[in-house]
Amino acid sequence: MAAVQDGQIEPESEKEIKSETLNDATGNHAAAVGGLLPSSPVSTASVGASNSSKAAASEDQQTLLAVLQFLKRNKLVESADILRREAGLLEESDDAQGSEGGRDELGGASADEGGEAASLFSRVTSATGASGIATGPAPSKATVAQGSEDQPDVSVVLSAYSQQGDPALYQMYYSGLKKFIESVLDCHRAELSQLFYPLFVHMYLELVYNNHEQEAKEFFEKFHGDQECYYRDDLRVLSGMSKKEHMRGNETLLDFRTSKFVLRISRDSYQLLKRHLQERQNNQIWNIIQEHLYIDIFDGMPRSKSQIDSMSGSLAGEAKREANKAKVFYGLLKEPEIEVPLDDEDEEAENEEGKPKKKKPKKDSMGSKSKKQDPNAPQQNRIPLPELKDSDKLDKIMYMKEATKRIRLGPDNLPSICFYTFLNAYQGLTAVDITDDSSLIAGGFADSTVRVWSVTPRKLRAVKSATDLSLIDKESEDVLERIMDEKTASESKILYGHNGPVYGISFSPDRNYLLSCSEDGTVRLWSLQTFTCLVCYKGHNYPVWDVQFSPHGYYFTSGGHDRVARLWATDHYQPLRMFAGHLADITCTRFHPNSNYLATGSADRTVRLWDILNGNCNRIFTGHKGPIHSLAFSPNGKFLASGATDGRVLLWDIGRGLMIEELNGHTDTIYALKFSRDGEILASGSMDNTVRLWDAVKAFDDIETDDFTAATGHVHLSENSLELQLGTYTSKSTPVIHLHFTRRNLLLAAGGYNP
Amino acid sequence: GGFSKMASPKTLPKDAQVMIQILKDMGITEYEPRVINQMLEFTYRYVTTIIEDAKIYATHAKKSNVDADDIRLAIQCRMDQSFTSPPPRDFLLEVARQKNQTPLPLIKPYTGPRLPPDRYCLTAPNYRLKSLQKKTSSSAGRITVPRLSVGAVSSRPSTPTLGELMRKLYVYTTSTPSTPTVQNVLINPSLIGSKNILITTNMVSQNSTSDSSTLKRKHEEDDDYDAL
Repeated sequence: MAAVQDGQIEPESEKEIKSETLNDATGNHAAAVGGLLPSSPVSTASVGASNSSKAAASEDQQTLLAVLQFLKRNKLVESADILRREAGLLEESDDAQGSEGGRDELGGASADEGGEAASLFSRVTSATGASGIATGPAPSKATVAQGSEDQPDVSVVLSAYSQQGDPALYQMYYSGLKKFIESVLDCHRAELSQLFYPLFVHMYLELVYNNHEQEAKEFFEKFHGDQECYYRDDLRVLSGMSKKEHMRGNETLLDFRTSKFVLRISRDSYQLLKRHLQERQNNQIWNIIQEHLYIDIFDGMPRSKSQIDSMSGSLAGEAKREANKAKVFYGLLKEPEIEVPLDDEDEEAENEEGKPKKKKPKKDSMGSKSKKQDPNAPQQNRIPLPELKDSDKLDKIMYMKEATKRIRLGPDNLPSICFYTFLNAYQGLTAVDITDDSSLIAGGFADSTVRVWSVTPRKLRAVKSATDLSLIDKESEDVLERIMDEKTASESKILYGHNGPVYGISFSPDRNYLLSCSEDGTVRLWSLQTFTCLVCYKGHNYPVWDVQFSPHGYYFTSGGHDRVARLWATDHYQPLRMFAGHLADITCTRFHPNSNYLATGSADRTVRLWDILNGNCNRIFTGHKGPIHSLAFSPNGKFLASGATDGRVLLWDIGRGLMIEELNGHTDTIYALKFSRDGEILASGSMDNTVRLWDAVKAFDDIETDDFTAATGHVHLSENSLELQLGTYTSKSTPVIHLHFTRRNLLLAAGGYNP
Repeated sequence: GGFSKMASPKTLPKDAQVMIQILKDMGITEYEPRVINQMLEFTYRYVTTIIEDAKIYATHAKKSNVDADDIRLAIQCRMDQSFTSPPPRDFLLEVARQKNQTPLPLIKPYTGPRLPPDRYCLTAPNYRLKSLQKKTSSSAGRITVPRLSVGAVSSRPSTPTLGELMRKLYVYTTSTPSTPTVQNVLINPSLIGSKNILITTNMVSQNSTSDSSTLKRKHEEDDDYDAL
């Protein structure tokens, strides 16, 4: 038997031995003990550590005792004797430990026996007995009370190495916790009930991942009914996975397993939980909690069930408070000052102001009157934006003229709705977009085509072919009309090019380009002057679900199945920014009106706000109970509305990162959300064939402004969805997939007829 | 849209009943009846592919029977090949972190349509005009109509490309060899503002043949800049 250098090396060597004995079923344990002692590579490194802290030494002692018990249980008496002798442990306390441990192990740690209440009780009594003895080689038993996680329990020690507890005991742990939580005070129960779902899923995934298929199935059967109803879809996916191989392809669940589920619990409830778990020595649950959950503690009143329900539902739990604390510049960029030329057409509009003789140009009425920078608005050059071309300036002038004729909407002045129904689409209409001036409509279809229609009587014209262009007179006045081909002018044009259904469409603000994204993983840029495809942006290798041009043109975003959103510029064939962080597919991407931020909605039921300048995620909004399919920023840039498959529209205050309001009413997925031009009305369109109008002004007026709300992120939602709903308009049988307010506040809706 | 009533489960073959049960377990309640057939066909194709692959692996390992390991290997290889999944989150976070460190590129003003370099666009013509062999000279001053023939798709950069909307136009004629002169007309963008059009025509003076040298015209520099 090789000599031991000093007592401290022992525990580490024992660790080595223990893993060895575990690994080989038949090995000569005495030989193994002897063989490994002189050559324990771990020991030198850990000697220093164990020398330094008493707690670590106590851990090692406990590990030692655990190994001892293990050897005894397996009737390796000789090895146990050798170990005891060399470790220098006292016989009687060991025996006392050993016998209790033996009883323990016989009771619970065997993987063959199912977990039983009796063994749990025996574990509890023996543990308390152990802490009662507290003598001999383990004066640090007292550390158990102080919250140390280790116990003379092989399964616990094993868990430190292979990160799994005894699979048969998972049911017991879970039901033990359930019993505890059901017994606490009402005010704490709602908060602690948040633990059920993440614990359930993590324990189930652990069992599956470590190949305990039978136990996993039993565990699932027993407890899946207890979970909240809004987790039903997740549970269904889980029920289909009982083997480790099933998990291989599901990136979402793999990410869920390795990321921490965030819970917000008040300090009182947390203390209660902690005290219970430690006094009952039920440390396996504690281990799991520490490994998989992130508990964000706040000081204050525990939250009520309704408060918790409104914020929970996402795959990653809620958002940590500091995730929503970064400063977001939600103000609008200053509009450029444009001289509006006074010509004859404008006389009727400006009669009251000026006579034709007045030479002073009319200042831009859209820009802010003050020269001071809005503190909440980003700098003009924070991100580079394209300069305004002359055509853009003309566009802006048109916009201002239309704005003067705009109808002011309100609860007593609802907009008229004009519905564009796509006939003969046979459920193939997958995306729609309308230009800002409402002159063109484009539809993306499941047969991979994109079709563009002209809404106005003016037909769509393409530029002539090269041969014809050579024949025209380039010096003539109306050359711009001459280059257009009259022979092929038509109401609609079809664009071919994609390899799969087209899921997203976006017009550029200057109406020169059209973007489309498809299931084939590409985003295509089409020219609306030649009606041909100009560029094919390849980056996502998986279906791209949404694409959108920035309000200033030049930039666009795309989001898809690969869980990243990308920012592109039309003249770069690779993305400029990548926004990674979501746990599941990104289903919706929208630019903020100042083009500095990007909102993404995802199938993991969260909405994130990203900063384009540096790619950081500035806001995480949780609360939806289903994948988010529509987003809309209010025109003043302060608020965000989101709609999901759960039929609810949620309103968020971007500046403070809080939920403002929850609008109930729809019964099916909401695919379209739009604010009116001045932000007074929010229109939502859904698969339930209705368009609903909501009073946005009233919703945003009711914001509570006390500090407590801002600090803790609690929401006190007023239950007045019905009051905020201004109208419901049903179509015959056409789901609404796009909404658009014209410049004069007429509401356009689009959908494919679906009898 | 609705779906017609399905055949009663008793008359369906067992496979179809199993498939219906699977759909029910996964929470799919509304589907057209042909979905079952499609799913069964997919299942059949997938299983036969796996088993064929597994047979190959078994013979490679010189085993007489196909066993579970072969099947497992076959499934894994197919999964990596056909059913790939997106990259893992930590990889994406790392790539995103690197990408987001570079500052956003400044935008050059007054550059016309902002598109990537031509080789990344789809604006190249996918035809090339065939040069005609006969050298008979036609009467002077007459511009003959070019005979277009669709050649092979050429993606070589020396082929003239359509950078801006209508950049160059070449008319190949069958006349005497003389380098065609090129006349560019640039319409002042500030006057019209909406379109930057550069129209170049080939002024065919007299009897210019298309010699092969015109095909290999000089490559323009701006085609190849990498605007990164």
